[in-house]
Amino acid sequence: MRQVHALGVDLQDGLHGRGVGAAARRLRAILAVDGVLLADLDGPVTSHGARPDDEEIDGVLAQVFEYGGSARTRRADGTSICAVPLHVADELTGALVALGEPVESDVEAAAALVSDSLDHAALRRARARIAAADLRTLRAQISPHFMHNSLAVIAALVRTDPDRARQLLSDFADYLRYGFSDKGDYATVADELEATQTYLELQRARFHDRLDITVRMAPEVLPVAIPFLVVQPIVENAIRHGLERKEGRGHISVSGFGEGPLCVIEIEDDGVGMHPELARALLAGTGPEARSVGLANVDQRLRAVYGPEYGLVIETALGEGTKVTVRVPRFAPGVVV
Amino acid sequence: MTASVLAIGLVLVTSLVIGVYGVRAARSTSDFLVASRRVSPNWNALAIAGEYLSAASMLGLAGLLLKNGLGTMWYAVGFTAGYVVVVALVAGPMRRSGAFTVPDFAEYRLGAPRLRKLCGCVVLVIMLLYLVPQFKGAGVVLSLVSGTPYWVGVVLAGVVVSGSIAAGGMRSATYVQAFHYVVKLAFLAVPAIYLVVHAGADTRAEALHPEWGTHFPQTTPVEFTVATDFTLDEPVTVIAADGAEVELAAGDHSVASGTEYVFPEGATIPHPAGLPELGSERWSTPLLDVGGYPLFETWSTLLAITLGCMGLPHVIMRFHTSPTARIARRVAVGVIALLGLFYLFPTVYGLLGRVLTPHLVMLQGTDTVAVVLPAQAVPGSVGTLLTAMVAAGAFGAFLSTSSGLLLALAGGLSHDLFQGSVPRLRLAVAVGACVAVLLALPAQMIDINVLVVWAFTVAASTFCPLLVLGIWWRRLTLPGAAAGLTVGGLTATGAVGWSILLPTPAGWLTVLLAQPAAWTIPLAFVTMMVVSRFTRPPEWAEHAVLRLHSP
Repeated sequence: MRQVHALGVDLQDGLHGRGVGAAARRLRAILAVDGVLLADLDGPVTSHGARPDDEEIDGVLAQVFEYGGSARTRRADGTSICAVPLHVADELTGALVALGEPVESDVEAAAALVSDSLDHAALRRARARIAAADLRTLRAQISPHFMHNSLAVIAALVRTDPDRARQLLSDFADYLRYGFSDKGDYATVADELEATQTYLELQRARFHDRLDITVRMAPEVLPVAIPFLVVQPIVENAIRHGLERKEGRGHISVSGFGEGPLCVIEIEDDGVGMHPELARALLAGTGPEARSVGLANVDQRLRAVYGPEYGLVIETALGEGTKVTVRVPRFAPGVVV
Repeated sequence: MTASVLAIGLVLVTSLVIGVYGVRAARSTSDFLVASRRVSPNWNALAIAGEYLSAASMLGLAGLLLKNGLGTMWYAVGFTAGYVVVVALVAGPMRRSGAFTVPDFAEYRLGAPRLRKLCGCVVLVIMLLYLVPQFKGAGVVLSLVSGTPYWVGVVLAGVVVSGSIAAGGMRSATYVQAFHYVVKLAFLAVPAIYLVVHAGADTRAEALHPEWGTHFPQTTPVEFTVATDFTLDEPVTVIAADGAEVELAAGDHSVASGTEYVFPEGATIPHPAGLPELGSERWSTPLLDVGGYPLFETWSTLLAITLGCMGLPHVIMRFHTSPTARIARRVAVGVIALLGLFYLFPTVYGLLGRVLTPHLVMLQGTDTVAVVLPAQAVPGSVGTLLTAMVAAGAFGAFLSTSSGLLLALAGGLSHDLFQGSVPRLRLAVAVGACVAVLLALPAQMIDINVLVVWAFTVAASTFCPLLVLGIWWRRLTLPGAAAGLTVGGLTATGAVGWSILLPTPAGWLTVLLAQPAAWTIPLAFVTMMVVSRFTRPPEWAEHAVLRLHSP
């Protein structure tokens, strides 16, 4: 069983991944044959143990690929070659060739196993692609609501306070550029803060300055790379669902500091808060559609990048404000700006 | 000595306040921009220097100078020169890799969780070896200024450091550490300058001309806090604690701990066996000479310290704070200047200490010379004040370095060795502090710098080859790195450990074991390269190395 499991691990990067040599070795042991060869549609990829000459391989592979079924040839020295096609998602992708005295049903079972592993590898790659696509959709999710409000505020200020309107318009431009930029999947904490600042400046104009803001940042976390658009959606959520409904002045604070190998960012507001059950539902993606998009998406992306233990933490209660904590490692493989 | 305790308390409280509240606070949106502006290279350099200057520099260096002679100044050279190597070889590429710790770098470059664990173990060893002398320094200083037993100081130090981390005292590490650099420099430099001016022309001349003999400058009461063996060149009559006169003949003596003698003015100072006599030729030769092979020993120590610097986990971490590789290098250059300035002063204490407090050598308490000296040289309230300054500075040194070390240690424990969460980090801080305190309790007799150089030797024999080859050699492989780390770590830890804990064979072996860097570093390099030759580098090696060097 362990061999079978290890085979799956070896093949996790597909037929052209790192473990494919080890997989061939393992298959030879499982099948107890003289040699094993794995091939894709272009020809042999790797082999272990005895290997027939190239002409012989080409012959048997051509036979398999042409008819899509198993092929068996007997050789002059009494051994035989058995080749079985590999199917991934019902498509022919390669062949498993065994040399020696193979039992055909065993080889076929092994081929099914290899096909499954390859199928898993393909699914895993697809999942990563979907995660990347998720990020792209979040980027496009700069809310039309917000765009409309911002432009309306700017329009209202154009005559009375042209300087402020001009400033806001340039903030708006900066914000759009950041939101639509395709620099990569990651940004530094400093970049995220700048984008958040332009966003807050626009919101303040809308709130007629009844919004107080505190930022406390330990400088050592500023160059840390984090997934793109993590801080701003949380701030947006705090304003839209926490402060917009609150009477009188609202206060929002953003703080960041290092905690050993971790970088911590806390976003806290003194708005209306929410029921803890609702917060749980939001993170699980089962909350009301209009509210769950931002936070759940951020949470999912953080988990996808850093692993399940690094999701968002929400502390809240009705009427008590909300505190959202992002806690990520300062370094994670692949996360660079 | 309440003044000293007060001063120490003040430094502790101030750093805690800066640590928790010193994060740049901003109250309007435009301040967002201020907050998101990166920390300037100068602040960063101050912070690195503040974290780096430990009890070893503040206390140990002057003490070792007094005890072993002028060659000790090579330590200061090594501590500073280490950053030249850091600038030239690792600062920029390390920043480009985005790695926060050496285990991070190992994972970036060679991509294996197991290597990460191995690196985590090495981090653990280095950090513990480095933490123990810090706690020892705290214990010694505290028992000196407040009269508490040694262990009280050590335990208190452990509690204070882990408590300040738990209270968020390292949240804005940059500002805390920068503050500590200023404290350390001011509290070491001001008394030093005052002492030099106040000491008078005769003392200054004596300090600079080593032909001076070893006699007590005045009637001196001496309390042996540890059991001591020493040699007397001529007979002397001392007064014991009960007032009786005791005649000590020339030759070897053993004194139990707790004994008190008052030595008359002009009496020859006894010197512990095996150490160079104060002011002798061996003392004033500018080479390190404990085992009889001065040139080898000096080179070996210098190599250990210079190359070890880049391998110290808490040093490497600070370059992560720089936004670009260029700025990372500029920061390192700033550190060199700041360290160079600081290291002028331990020499002053060492040289003046040789004239004014030579009996510390006999007491095996040379690590305290910087604290003892001011009161000895300037009696009265000024002396008390100066002592308080040095004691507070020493405590600051110990606090800043050990918080950084303990955090790095806890990070290694919770992040590299066990896939950790936040409570684990706190737990790891507590566990790390406990282990370091327990190890520091029996370490009272070992010189601070011997332990610190041990840590540097291990770092130089493990992480130095890993970083240098990882950055500059594409063919480095996973098995190669693992083999090199294991061989270098085991030989360096084992050799120095043997020389400290077990009786050592005479001759060459003594030196080879006490200062093994000269053979363990090349051994680690060769192991990494040879094993790498026979194994295959990861496919992304080319790409990873390119990223380290492309602007």
